[in-house]
Amino acid sequence: MSAHLPAASTGHGHFDGSAALQTIPLLPRNAVLSLLHGYRATISHAYGDVCKYYPSCSAYAVGAVQQHGALKGSVMAAARIARCHPWAKGGVDDVPLHTNFRYDLTPRGFVVPVPLRKD
Amino acid sequence: MPDLIGIILWPLKWLVELVLVAWHALFTAIGLAPAEGITWVLAIVGLVLVVRSALIPLFVKQIKSQRKMMEIAPELRKVQAKYKGKKDQLSREAMSRETMGLYKKHGTSPVSGCLPLLVQMPVFFALFSVLNGVQTIKTDPDHTGVGLLSNELMTEFYNAKLFGVASLHDTLIGAWEAQAPGWQVTVGILLVLVVLMIVSQFFTQLQIISKNLSPEAKTGQAYQMQKIMLYVLPFAFVFSGVFFPLGVVIYWFTSNVWTMVQQFVVIRNLPTPGSEAAKLREERLARKGKALDATGKIIPMEKYQAEQQRLFEEAERARAATPKRQQPIGKQRAKKQAQKQPGDGGPKSGGSADPAAGAAS
Repeated sequence: MSAHLPAASTGHGHFDGSAALQTIPLLPRNAVLSLLHGYRATISHAYGDVCKYYPSCSAYAVGAVQQHGALKGSVMAAARIARCHPWAKGGVDDVPLHTNFRYDLTPRGFVVPVPLRKD
Repeated sequence: MPDLIGIILWPLKWLVELVLVAWHALFTAIGLAPAEGITWVLAIVGLVLVVRSALIPLFVKQIKSQRKMMEIAPELRKVQAKYKGKKDQLSREAMSRETMGLYKKHGTSPVSGCLPLLVQMPVFFALFSVLNGVQTIKTDPDHTGVGLLSNELMTEFYNAKLFGVASLHDTLIGAWEAQAPGWQVTVGILLVLVVLMIVSQFFTQLQIISKNLSPEAKTGQAYQMQKIMLYVLPFAFVFSGVFFPLGVVIYWFTSNVWTMVQQFVVIRNLPTPGSEAAKLREERLARKGKALDATGKIIPMEKYQAEQQRLFEEAERARAATPKRQQPIGKQRAKKQAQKQPGDGGPKSGGSADPAAGAAS
Protein backbone atom coordinates (compact mmCIF):
# COMPACT_ATOMS: atom_id res chain seq x y z
CA MET A 1 0.00 0.00 0.00
CA SER A 2 2.79 2.43 0.87
CA ALA A 3 4.85 1.16 -2.04
CA HIS A 4 4.10 4.14 -4.26
CA LEU A 5 5.95 7.44 -4.24
CA PRO A 6 4.22 10.45 -2.68
CA ALA A 7 3.15 13.17 -5.09
CA ALA A 8 5.97 15.42 -3.84
CA SER A 9 8.51 13.00 -5.37
CA THR A 10 7.23 13.13 -8.94
CA GLY A 11 6.70 15.97 -11.37
CA HIS A 12 6.21 16.87 -15.01
CA GLY A 13 9.79 17.84 -15.83
CA HIS A 14 11.68 16.20 -18.67
CA PHE A 15 15.27 16.16 -19.80
CA ASP A 16 16.12 19.06 -22.11
CA GLY A 17 19.23 18.77 -24.31
CA SER A 18 19.96 22.52 -24.08
CA ALA A 19 20.56 22.17 -20.34
CA ALA A 20 23.00 19.26 -20.64
CA LEU A 21 25.74 21.15 -18.80
CA GLN A 22 23.53 21.84 -15.80
CA THR A 23 22.77 18.10 -15.43
CA ILE A 24 26.39 17.27 -14.56
CA PRO A 25 26.11 18.33 -10.90
CA LEU A 26 22.91 16.27 -10.74
CA LEU A 27 24.64 13.06 -11.88
CA PRO A 28 25.44 11.68 -8.38
CA ARG A 29 21.91 12.02 -7.07
CA ASN A 30 20.41 10.59 -10.25
CA ALA A 31 22.81 7.63 -10.04
CA VAL A 32 21.67 6.96 -6.46
CA LEU A 33 18.05 7.45 -7.54
CA SER A 34 18.37 4.83 -10.27
CA LEU A 35 19.71 2.36 -7.68
CA LEU A 36 16.78 3.19 -5.39
CA HIS A 37 14.23 2.83 -8.19
CA GLY A 38 15.77 -0.54 -9.07
CA TYR A 39 15.59 -1.67 -5.46
CA ARG A 40 12.00 -0.48 -5.13
CA ALA A 41 10.93 -2.31 -8.29
CA THR A 42 12.42 -5.65 -7.22
CA ILE A 43 13.50 -6.37 -3.63
CA SER A 44 10.95 -4.03 -2.02
CA HIS A 45 8.17 -5.96 -3.72
CA ALA A 46 9.41 -9.32 -2.50
CA TYR A 47 9.44 -8.14 1.14
CA GLY A 48 5.96 -6.65 1.00
CA ASP A 49 4.92 -3.94 3.47
CA VAL A 50 7.25 -3.79 6.44
CA CYS A 51 7.69 -0.06 7.03
CA LYS A 52 6.18 1.73 10.01
CA TYR A 53 5.94 5.07 8.28
CA TYR A 54 4.42 6.87 5.35
CA PRO A 55 6.25 7.34 3.01
CA SER A 56 8.03 3.99 3.33
CA CYS A 57 11.78 4.03 4.04
CA SER A 58 12.70 3.52 0.39
CA ALA A 59 10.27 6.22 -0.78
CA TYR A 60 11.70 8.51 1.91
CA ALA A 61 15.19 7.77 0.59
CA VAL A 62 14.06 8.76 -2.92
CA GLY A 63 12.63 12.04 -1.63
CA ALA A 64 15.66 12.82 0.52
CA VAL A 65 18.14 12.21 -2.32
CA GLN A 66 16.01 14.27 -4.74
CA GLN A 67 15.81 17.20 -2.37
CA HIS A 68 19.20 17.15 -0.66
CA GLY A 69 21.55 15.29 -3.00
CA ALA A 70 23.36 11.95 -2.90
CA LEU A 71 25.37 12.55 0.28
CA LYS A 72 23.03 14.37 2.66
CA GLY A 73 20.06 12.47 1.27
CA SER A 74 21.72 9.10 1.97
CA VAL A 75 22.53 10.15 5.53
CA MET A 76 18.92 11.25 6.06
CA ALA A 77 17.68 7.93 4.65
CA ALA A 78 19.99 5.99 6.99
CA ALA A 79 18.67 8.00 9.95
CA ARG A 80 15.14 7.17 8.87
CA ILE A 81 15.87 3.43 8.66
CA ALA A 82 17.36 3.64 12.16
CA ARG A 83 14.07 5.20 13.30
CA CYS A 84 12.06 2.37 11.73
CA HIS A 85 12.46 -0.24 14.48
CA PRO A 86 9.84 -2.46 16.17
CA TRP A 87 9.36 -0.10 19.11
CA ALA A 88 8.89 3.01 16.99
CA LYS A 89 5.49 4.68 16.92
CA GLY A 90 5.41 5.05 13.14
CA GLY A 91 3.01 7.40 11.39
CA VAL A 92 3.45 10.04 8.73
CA ASP A 93 7.04 11.22 8.38
CA ASP A 94 7.71 13.29 5.28
CA VAL A 95 11.08 14.40 3.92
CA PRO A 96 11.83 17.97 4.97
CA LEU A 97 11.88 19.85 1.66
CA HIS A 98 14.92 21.83 0.56
CA THR A 99 14.35 25.53 1.28
CA ASN A 100 15.05 26.58 -2.30
CA PHE A 101 14.79 23.58 -4.57
CA ARG A 102 15.99 24.77 -7.97
CA TYR A 103 15.31 21.68 -10.10
CA ASP A 104 12.44 19.83 -11.74
CA LEU A 105 11.29 16.27 -11.08
CA THR A 106 10.37 13.85 -13.85
CA PRO A 107 7.28 11.60 -13.69
CA ARG A 108 9.64 8.71 -12.87
CA GLY A 109 11.25 10.61 -10.01
CA PHE A 110 14.57 11.73 -11.49
CA VAL A 111 15.96 15.24 -11.03
CA VAL A 112 16.47 17.48 -14.09
CA PRO A 113 17.43 21.15 -14.37
CA VAL A 114 14.70 23.69 -14.99
CA PRO A 115 14.67 24.61 -18.73
CA LEU A 116 16.46 27.93 -19.32
CA ARG A 117 14.06 29.72 -21.69
CA LYS A 118 10.54 29.39 -20.42
CA ASP A 119 8.71 31.94 -22.61
CA MET B 1 34.95 -1.64 1.24
CA PRO B 2 35.69 -5.23 2.38
CA ASP B 3 37.41 -3.71 5.39
CA LEU B 4 34.27 -1.81 6.38
CA ILE B 5 32.19 -4.97 6.14
CA GLY B 6 34.85 -6.80 8.14
CA ILE B 7 34.67 -4.16 10.90
CA ILE B 8 30.87 -4.42 11.05
CA LEU B 9 30.99 -8.22 11.14
CA TRP B 10 33.83 -8.52 13.63
CA PRO B 11 31.80 -8.20 16.87
CA LEU B 12 29.08 -10.44 15.48
CA LYS B 13 31.61 -13.09 14.45
CA TRP B 14 33.19 -12.85 17.89
CA LEU B 15 29.82 -13.56 19.53
CA VAL B 16 29.06 -16.45 17.18
CA GLU B 17 32.43 -18.03 18.00
CA LEU B 18 31.86 -17.53 21.73
CA VAL B 19 28.49 -19.32 21.59
CA LEU B 20 29.84 -22.11 19.41
CA VAL B 21 32.90 -22.74 21.61
CA ALA B 22 30.81 -22.55 24.80
CA TRP B 23 28.39 -25.22 23.58
CA HIS B 24 31.29 -27.35 22.39
CA ALA B 25 32.91 -27.09 25.82
CA LEU B 26 29.60 -28.00 27.47
CA PHE B 27 29.11 -31.12 25.35
CA THR B 28 32.75 -32.12 25.89
CA ALA B 29 32.26 -31.67 29.65
CA ILE B 30 29.30 -34.07 29.70
CA GLY B 31 31.41 -36.74 28.03
CA LEU B 32 31.19 -36.39 24.27
CA ALA B 33 34.47 -36.75 22.37
CA PRO B 34 35.70 -33.22 21.48
CA ALA B 35 36.80 -34.16 17.96
CA GLU B 36 33.64 -36.12 17.06
CA GLY B 37 31.35 -34.79 14.35
CA ILE B 38 28.28 -35.11 16.56
CA THR B 39 29.80 -32.80 19.21
CA TRP B 40 30.26 -30.03 16.66
CA VAL B 41 26.84 -30.67 15.14
CA LEU B 42 25.26 -30.27 18.58
CA ALA B 43 27.29 -27.07 19.09
CA ILE B 44 25.74 -25.72 15.87
CA VAL B 45 22.27 -26.73 17.08
CA GLY B 46 23.04 -24.91 20.35
CA LEU B 47 23.99 -21.82 18.36
CA VAL B 48 20.57 -21.93 16.66
CA LEU B 49 18.85 -22.16 20.05
CA VAL B 50 20.69 -19.06 21.30
CA VAL B 51 20.12 -16.99 18.16
CA ARG B 52 16.45 -17.86 17.86
CA SER B 53 15.75 -17.40 21.58
CA ALA B 54 17.23 -13.92 21.33
CA LEU B 55 14.68 -13.13 18.62
CA ILE B 56 11.65 -14.24 20.66
CA PRO B 57 10.93 -10.81 22.26
CA LEU B 58 10.70 -9.29 18.80
CA PHE B 59 8.32 -12.01 17.75
CA VAL B 60 6.08 -11.60 20.79
CA LYS B 61 5.97 -7.84 20.27
CA GLN B 62 4.83 -8.45 16.71
CA ILE B 63 2.02 -10.76 17.77
CA LYS B 64 0.75 -8.40 20.46
CA SER B 65 0.71 -5.62 17.92
CA GLN B 66 -1.32 -7.79 15.54
CA ARG B 67 -3.86 -8.45 18.25
CA LYS B 68 -4.34 -4.75 18.80
CA MET B 69 -5.06 -4.37 15.10
CA MET B 70 -8.46 -5.95 15.72
CA GLU B 71 -9.52 -3.02 17.87
CA ILE B 72 -8.94 -0.52 15.11
CA ALA B 73 -10.41 -2.70 12.35
CA PRO B 74 -13.72 -0.76 12.20
CA GLU B 75 -11.91 2.56 11.80
CA LEU B 76 -9.62 0.98 9.22
CA ARG B 77 -12.58 -0.26 7.24
CA LYS B 78 -14.06 3.24 7.30
CA VAL B 79 -10.88 4.62 5.70
CA GLN B 80 -10.87 1.83 3.13
CA ALA B 81 -14.51 2.47 2.26
CA LYS B 82 -13.81 6.18 1.84
CA TYR B 83 -11.21 5.49 -0.85
CA LYS B 84 -12.85 2.48 -2.42
CA GLY B 85 -12.32 2.36 -6.17
CA LYS B 86 -10.09 5.44 -6.18
CA LYS B 87 -6.90 4.33 -7.83
CA ASP B 88 -5.23 7.67 -8.67
CA GLN B 89 -1.96 8.59 -7.04
CA LEU B 90 -3.29 11.37 -4.82
CA SER B 91 -6.15 9.30 -3.39
CA ARG B 92 -3.87 6.40 -2.64
CA GLU B 93 -1.39 8.71 -0.99
CA ALA B 94 -4.13 10.27 1.14
CA MET B 95 -5.37 6.81 2.11
CA SER B 96 -1.89 5.67 3.12
CA ARG B 97 -1.45 8.82 5.19
CA GLU B 98 -4.75 8.32 6.98
CA THR B 99 -4.02 4.64 7.61
CA MET B 100 -0.59 5.41 9.04
CA GLY B 101 -2.05 8.18 11.17
CA LEU B 102 -4.57 5.69 12.55
CA TYR B 103 -1.83 3.21 13.45
CA LYS B 104 0.12 5.93 15.21
CA LYS B 105 -2.91 7.20 17.11
CA HIS B 106 -3.56 3.72 18.51
CA GLY B 107 0.10 2.86 19.01
CA THR B 108 -0.07 -0.27 16.88
CA SER B 109 1.09 -1.39 13.47
CA PRO B 110 0.82 -4.58 11.44
CA VAL B 111 4.54 -4.40 10.60
CA SER B 112 7.77 -4.38 12.59
CA GLY B 113 9.79 -1.84 10.62
CA CYS B 114 12.67 -1.85 8.18
CA LEU B 115 15.55 -2.09 10.63
CA PRO B 116 15.06 -5.74 11.70
CA LEU B 117 15.35 -6.84 8.08
CA LEU B 118 18.63 -4.99 7.72
CA VAL B 119 20.01 -6.27 11.03
CA GLN B 120 19.29 -9.88 10.19
CA MET B 121 21.53 -9.77 7.16
CA PRO B 122 24.86 -9.07 8.92
CA VAL B 123 23.99 -11.61 11.62
CA PHE B 124 23.52 -14.25 9.00
CA PHE B 125 26.68 -13.16 7.16
CA ALA B 126 28.63 -13.47 10.41
CA LEU B 127 27.27 -16.96 10.99
CA PHE B 128 28.03 -17.97 7.48
CA SER B 129 31.53 -16.54 7.54
CA VAL B 130 32.38 -18.30 10.82
CA LEU B 131 31.04 -21.68 9.68
CA ASN B 132 32.40 -21.24 6.19
CA GLY B 133 35.70 -19.82 7.49
CA VAL B 134 36.53 -23.21 8.98
CA GLN B 135 37.19 -24.35 5.42
CA THR B 136 40.21 -22.02 5.12
CA ILE B 137 42.11 -24.48 7.35
CA LYS B 138 42.65 -26.49 4.18
CA THR B 139 44.67 -23.75 2.46
CA ASP B 140 45.95 -21.98 5.57
CA PRO B 141 46.68 -24.45 8.43
CA ASP B 142 47.50 -21.59 10.83
CA HIS B 143 44.12 -19.87 10.40
CA THR B 144 42.33 -18.77 13.58
CA GLY B 145 38.95 -17.22 14.27
CA VAL B 146 38.47 -13.62 15.40
CA GLY B 147 37.89 -14.63 19.02
CA LEU B 148 37.65 -17.83 20.99
CA LEU B 149 37.77 -20.21 18.05
CA SER B 150 41.48 -21.00 18.27
CA ASN B 151 43.52 -22.73 15.60
CA GLU B 152 43.35 -26.06 17.49
CA LEU B 153 39.56 -25.88 17.82
CA MET B 154 39.18 -24.85 14.22
CA THR B 155 41.35 -27.73 13.02
CA GLU B 156 39.30 -30.07 15.19
CA PHE B 157 36.09 -28.65 13.68
CA TYR B 158 37.57 -29.00 10.19
CA ASN B 159 38.52 -32.63 10.73
CA ALA B 160 35.32 -33.61 12.56
CA LYS B 161 33.28 -36.20 10.69
CA LEU B 162 29.62 -37.01 11.21
CA PHE B 163 29.10 -40.80 11.37
CA GLY B 164 32.83 -41.13 10.82
CA VAL B 165 32.65 -40.11 7.13
CA ALA B 166 30.76 -36.87 6.44
CA SER B 167 32.95 -33.81 7.04
CA LEU B 168 31.16 -30.67 8.22
CA HIS B 169 32.98 -28.65 5.57
CA ASP B 170 31.88 -30.87 2.67
CA THR B 171 29.45 -29.52 0.12
CA LEU B 172 27.18 -31.72 -1.93
CA ILE B 173 28.84 -30.73 -5.17
CA GLY B 174 32.34 -31.13 -3.66
CA ALA B 175 31.61 -34.60 -2.27
CA TRP B 176 30.10 -35.64 -5.59
CA GLU B 177 33.16 -34.55 -7.51
CA ALA B 178 35.84 -35.81 -5.09
CA GLN B 179 34.19 -39.23 -4.54
CA ALA B 180 36.28 -39.79 -1.42
CA PRO B 181 35.54 -43.01 0.55
CA GLY B 182 32.06 -42.80 2.05
CA TRP B 183 30.99 -39.87 -0.17
CA GLN B 184 27.60 -41.50 -0.66
CA VAL B 185 26.84 -40.93 3.04
CA THR B 186 27.69 -37.20 2.79
CA VAL B 187 25.57 -36.79 -0.33
CA GLY B 188 22.77 -38.81 1.28
CA ILE B 189 22.74 -36.69 4.46
CA LEU B 190 22.77 -33.45 2.47
CA LEU B 191 19.97 -34.61 0.17
CA VAL B 192 17.81 -35.67 3.12
CA LEU B 193 18.43 -32.32 4.87
CA VAL B 194 17.58 -30.34 1.73
CA VAL B 195 14.36 -32.27 1.18
CA LEU B 196 13.37 -31.83 4.85
CA MET B 197 14.15 -28.10 4.65
CA ILE B 198 11.97 -27.69 1.56
CA VAL B 199 9.15 -29.62 3.17
CA SER B 200 9.32 -27.72 6.47
CA GLN B 201 9.51 -24.32 4.77
CA PHE B 202 6.55 -25.16 2.55
CA PHE B 203 4.54 -26.54 5.45
CA THR B 204 5.23 -23.49 7.66
CA GLN B 205 4.17 -21.04 4.95
CA LEU B 206 1.12 -23.10 4.08
CA GLN B 207 0.03 -23.09 7.73
CA ILE B 208 0.31 -19.30 7.89
CA ILE B 209 -1.46 -18.67 4.60
CA SER B 210 -4.25 -21.18 5.02
CA LYS B 211 -4.99 -20.65 8.69
CA ASN B 212 -3.46 -17.55 10.22
CA LEU B 213 -4.44 -14.68 7.91
CA SER B 214 -7.26 -12.28 8.73
CA PRO B 215 -9.91 -11.72 6.03
CA GLU B 216 -8.43 -8.24 5.44
CA ALA B 217 -4.99 -9.69 4.75
CA LYS B 218 -6.45 -12.10 2.22
CA THR B 219 -7.31 -9.30 -0.17
CA GLY B 220 -4.79 -7.36 -2.17
CA GLN B 221 -1.55 -7.74 -3.97
CA ALA B 222 0.63 -8.75 -1.02
CA TYR B 223 -1.48 -11.88 -0.55
CA GLN B 224 -1.07 -12.91 -4.18
CA MET B 225 2.69 -12.42 -3.82
CA GLN B 226 2.74 -14.58 -0.69
CA LYS B 227 0.93 -17.34 -2.51
CA ILE B 228 3.51 -17.31 -5.29
CA MET B 229 6.37 -17.24 -2.78
CA LEU B 230 4.90 -20.33 -1.14
CA TYR B 231 5.95 -22.36 -4.16
CA VAL B 232 9.09 -20.45 -5.17
CA LEU B 233 10.89 -19.84 -1.87
CA PRO B 234 11.49 -23.47 -0.83
CA PHE B 235 13.60 -23.96 -3.91
CA ALA B 236 16.13 -21.45 -2.65
CA PHE B 237 17.18 -24.34 -0.41
CA VAL B 238 18.13 -26.44 -3.41
CA PHE B 239 20.79 -23.85 -4.20
CA SER B 240 22.05 -23.66 -0.60
CA GLY B 241 21.96 -27.44 -0.29
CA VAL B 242 24.22 -27.88 -3.29
CA PHE B 243 26.81 -25.16 -2.65
CA PHE B 244 26.88 -24.67 1.14
CA PRO B 245 28.94 -26.86 3.47
CA LEU B 246 27.23 -29.42 5.69
CA GLY B 247 27.80 -27.29 8.83
CA VAL B 248 25.88 -24.35 7.34
CA VAL B 249 23.12 -26.62 6.04
CA ILE B 250 22.70 -28.13 9.52
CA TYR B 251 22.41 -24.62 10.99
CA TRP B 252 19.80 -23.66 8.43
CA PHE B 253 17.87 -26.88 8.84
CA THR B 254 17.70 -26.53 12.64
CA SER B 255 16.62 -22.92 12.30
CA ASN B 256 13.85 -24.01 9.94
CA VAL B 257 12.60 -26.61 12.36
CA TRP B 258 12.54 -23.92 15.06
CA THR B 259 10.46 -21.64 12.83
CA MET B 260 8.04 -24.45 12.12
CA VAL B 261 7.50 -25.30 15.79
CA GLN B 262 7.24 -21.61 16.74
CA GLN B 263 4.62 -21.02 14.05
CA PHE B 264 2.71 -24.08 15.18
CA VAL B 265 2.61 -22.84 18.79
CA VAL B 266 1.61 -19.34 17.72
CA ILE B 267 -1.13 -20.50 15.35
CA ARG B 268 -2.51 -22.73 18.07
CA ASN B 269 -2.32 -20.36 21.03
CA LEU B 270 -2.04 -16.81 19.70
CA PRO B 271 -3.73 -16.84 16.29
CA THR B 272 -4.33 -13.68 14.26
CA PRO B 273 -7.73 -12.30 15.29
CA GLY B 274 -10.40 -13.04 12.71
CA SER B 275 -8.43 -15.80 11.04
CA GLU B 276 -9.37 -19.43 10.53
CA ALA B 277 -6.99 -20.43 13.33
CA ALA B 278 -8.70 -17.99 15.72
CA LYS B 279 -12.08 -19.63 14.99
CA LEU B 280 -10.60 -23.08 15.62
CA ARG B 281 -9.16 -21.89 18.92
CA GLU B 282 -12.51 -20.46 20.04
CA GLU B 283 -14.16 -23.78 19.20
CA ARG B 284 -11.52 -25.65 21.24
CA LEU B 285 -12.05 -23.30 24.17
CA ALA B 286 -15.84 -23.59 23.89
CA ARG B 287 -15.57 -27.38 24.13
CA LYS B 288 -13.72 -26.90 27.40
CA GLY B 289 -16.40 -24.48 28.59
CA LYS B 290 -14.24 -21.41 28.21
CA ALA B 291 -14.26 -18.30 26.06
CA LEU B 292 -12.20 -15.22 25.28
CA ASP B 293 -13.17 -11.82 26.65
CA ALA B 294 -12.70 -8.51 24.86
CA THR B 295 -9.06 -8.21 25.92
CA GLY B 296 -8.16 -11.72 24.76
CA LYS B 297 -8.04 -13.36 28.21
CA ILE B 298 -9.43 -16.85 28.76
CA ILE B 299 -12.50 -16.80 31.03
CA PRO B 300 -15.19 -19.38 31.95
CA MET B 301 -18.19 -19.62 29.65
CA GLU B 302 -20.74 -18.41 32.26
CA LYS B 303 -18.74 -15.28 32.84
CA TYR B 304 -18.46 -14.74 29.08
CA GLN B 305 -22.20 -15.13 28.59
CA ALA B 306 -22.91 -12.79 31.48
CA GLU B 307 -20.61 -10.24 29.92
CA GLN B 308 -22.25 -10.62 26.51
CA GLN B 309 -25.69 -10.27 28.12
CA ARG B 310 -24.54 -7.12 29.90
CA LEU B 311 -23.13 -5.66 26.68
CA PHE B 312 -26.34 -6.51 24.84
CA GLU B 313 -28.48 -4.84 27.50
CA GLU B 314 -26.25 -1.81 27.48
CA ALA B 315 -26.64 -1.52 23.73
CA GLU B 316 -30.41 -1.93 24.01
CA ARG B 317 -30.59 0.75 26.66
CA ALA B 318 -28.46 3.08 24.57
CA ARG B 319 -30.77 2.48 21.63
CA ALA B 320 -33.86 3.16 23.72
CA ALA B 321 -32.32 6.33 25.09
CA THR B 322 -31.64 7.85 21.68
CA PRO B 323 -34.75 9.64 20.35
CA LYS B 324 -36.56 8.02 17.46
CA ARG B 325 -36.51 9.78 14.14
CA GLN B 326 -39.77 11.60 13.43
CA GLN B 327 -41.43 11.00 10.10
CA PRO B 328 -41.34 14.35 8.29
CA ILE B 329 -44.79 15.79 7.67
CA GLY B 330 -45.76 18.15 4.87
CA LYS B 331 -46.82 21.69 5.79
CA GLN B 332 -50.40 21.14 4.63
CA ARG B 333 -50.84 17.95 6.56
CA ALA B 334 -49.30 19.42 9.72
CA LYS B 335 -51.84 22.20 9.51
CA LYS B 336 -54.69 19.73 9.00
CA GLN B 337 -53.56 17.61 11.93
CA ALA B 338 -53.28 20.66 14.15
CA GLN B 339 -56.86 21.57 13.25
CA LYS B 340 -58.05 18.02 13.85
CA GLN B 341 -56.23 17.63 17.17
CA PRO B 342 -58.71 19.32 19.52
CA GLY B 343 -61.65 17.23 18.31
CA ASP B 344 -59.78 13.97 17.84
CA GLY B 345 -58.07 13.62 21.22
CA GLY B 346 -56.84 10.05 21.89
CA PRO B 347 -54.87 7.64 19.65
CA LYS B 348 -56.21 6.94 16.21
CA SER B 349 -58.01 3.72 15.55
CA GLY B 350 -56.68 1.39 12.88
CA GLY B 351 -59.79 1.65 10.76
CA SER B 352 -59.65 5.41 10.26
CA ALA B 353 -59.28 6.75 6.74
CA ASP B 354 -56.50 9.09 7.83
CA PRO B 355 -53.63 8.76 5.27
CA ALA B 356 -51.05 9.67 7.97
CA ALA B 357 -51.69 6.36 9.73
CA GLY B 358 -50.75 4.45 6.59
CA ALA B 359 -47.61 6.49 6.03
CA ALA B 360 -46.33 6.07 9.57
CA SER B 361 -46.51 2.28 9.59
